Amino acid sequence: MNTRVERYDAARMNRAMLSSMRPPTFRWYLLALVLGAVVAFGLYAFTVQATTGMGVTGINRPVMWGIYIISFVFWVGLSHSGTMVSAILRLSQASWRRPILRGAEAMTVFSIAVAGLFPLIHLGRNWIFYYLLPYPNQYGLWPNFRSPLLFDMVAINTYIIGSSIFLYIGLLPDLAVVRDLSSGWRKKFYGFLAMGWRGSAEQWRIFSRGSTLLACLIIPVAVSVHSIVAWDFAVTLVPGWHSTIFAPYFVIGAITSGVAAVITLMIVIRKLFKLEEFLLPLHFDNMAKLLLAVCLLWSYFYFAEVFTTWYAHKPIEWEIFSFMADRYGSIFFIMILGNTIVPIIGLCFRRVRRSQIALLVITLLINLAMFIERFLIVVPSLSHKNIPFIWGSYTPSWVEVAIGTAAFALFFLLYTLFAKFFPILAITDVREQEEALLGNQPLGRTQVKTLVNEE
Amino acid sequence: MEILGIFKTLEPAAGAINQLIAAGVAEDQITSLSSVPYPEGVLIPERRKPAFYLSTLVFGVFGALTGFALAAGTAWLYPLRTGDKPIISIFPVGLITYELMMLFAIIGTLIGMFWTMGLPDFKPRAYAAEISDGAIGILVTTGDEDELNRARATLIAAGAERLCTEEEEG
Repeated sequence: MNTRVERYDAARMNRAMLSSMRPPTFRWYLLALVLGAVVAFGLYAFTVQATTGMGVTGINRPVMWGIYIISFVFWVGLSHSGTMVSAILRLSQASWRRPILRGAEAMTVFSIAVAGLFPLIHLGRNWIFYYLLPYPNQYGLWPNFRSPLLFDMVAINTYIIGSSIFLYIGLLPDLAVVRDLSSGWRKKFYGFLAMGWRGSAEQWRIFSRGSTLLACLIIPVAVSVHSIVAWDFAVTLVPGWHSTIFAPYFVIGAITSGVAAVITLMIVIRKLFKLEEFLLPLHFDNMAKLLLAVCLLWSYFYFAEVFTTWYAHKPIEWEIFSFMADRYGSIFFIMILGNTIVPIIGLCFRRVRRSQIALLVITLLINLAMFIERFLIVVPSLSHKNIPFIWGSYTPSWVEVAIGTAAFALFFLLYTLFAKFFPILAITDVREQEEALLGNQPLGRTQVKTLVNEE
Repeated sequence: MEILGIFKTLEPAAGAINQLIAAGVAEDQITSLSSVPYPEGVLIPERRKPAFYLSTLVFGVFGALTGFALAAGTAWLYPLRTGDKPIISIFPVGLITYELMMLFAIIGTLIGMFWTMGLPDFKPRAYAAEISDGAIGILVTTGDEDELNRARATLIAAGAERLCTEEEEG
């Protein structure tokens, strides 16, 4: 008999994978409190903005988009990879995906939810945000769907709902496991969420096919969302933005930051919840290879965009590049270092791909670089548009910085709460893989192929 | 009426299915309950193709029509003339139509999956919590008292650790 058979113990694996759901410790409460305090300060800053007016921000002519839109693009980008990576890996039947799925899908839901707040914060007169919704009213007035703002509203809502459904469907069998291992109000709560799932052969069949179909549906939605965000820029006549490459370039940028964020969160979750048994070096190695590929693609797209602009040398476009190099040269260098030089060189080495510390540094650097990239897309182009006598620049106010920082805190707070109340690892997915690795032939009433694991 | 036999491992559970069929229980009255999916044929073979794809299609078409009505219809109801741009513009209408088609298709898939899986189901059912810890349940559903007794005897003979019904849910 295979030694894996002895290792495989469903009950032990369930409890190990649910370790993140143990009663909170003092340190957990402290973390939640700190994050909650930052979010509360962000709410205060937003209240100041709502009661005083948009004048408390640094937004002014000609730079009418600031930290809010930069954050919006950043968070939409971050949301991109979770569900998409999960869906692609599910469709390609990459068995190493299993421990990664849940964390990635949850990341998508929370980051797109955070992203969705920024257009509302940026609107001004936020209390009438519902004017964006198409509802019959006494004026006979409808929102103008020719506006890219409405494209965003529809696309983001589609993605939030789609990603939440994708996350929930994946959670369903795991919620039943939690229900069965709980008692008291928890049993009722998880029992309600599990909807009476029993894991019959028919339910598993529908679950498997439905998940695959949902994966097929969510990938084009993910691509469309970030393309639409890119078209917010590209359909304008602003120099530096009016480019056909913007949509695919944004999609690749989004995947880059998303994959990096998934790896960052995997490293943190693995350490915090002691999940070393399930998140193996192999998983980080494979994700790092994926990250290397998307970093190469991002660099290629960036080069293609800059090269054509440089060669054509259109005065106004070159002016923007010159302004960017003069004013923001240092952060431009950090962007190239973080998105191209460090990851492309570093991730070529197996030792780096399997080192938790090296990967943590690289992935954090990538997301810092991606935030800078969003800043460099928005601010220089708006600062130096076609009419030189209204050229200007932009410095964010404390209100914008507070709200931008609160967004990070809100994301981590939501993620922390999710990890405490829901299984952060896809329990049944991981166990299915372990069962397949048992190596039993024949199995039940049929013969099945055995799998070989690299680790 | 339901009777559920709990088995610690896969092999006796698979054997129980064969024995139940040999005892005259119809195959479509037997199903397995497990906390992980097993490959096709290991326990219960597929009897019919799931029909939830139809729900995806119907909802998708409905979503596309809704998107078109929202983007084109509202522009037509409240015409805003901007330069030489058309009132009903192809690209915005296409985008909104596409997004709502996908949204409704996803919602339709969820509803179709739940419908065909028989969820939500909060009625008392034969179930045992140890299934989540790796046990396999073999469930027989029947309206005939004699058949239920026959199934009970067969499950015990096949090595079931214990039996339970709707009334004595584990």
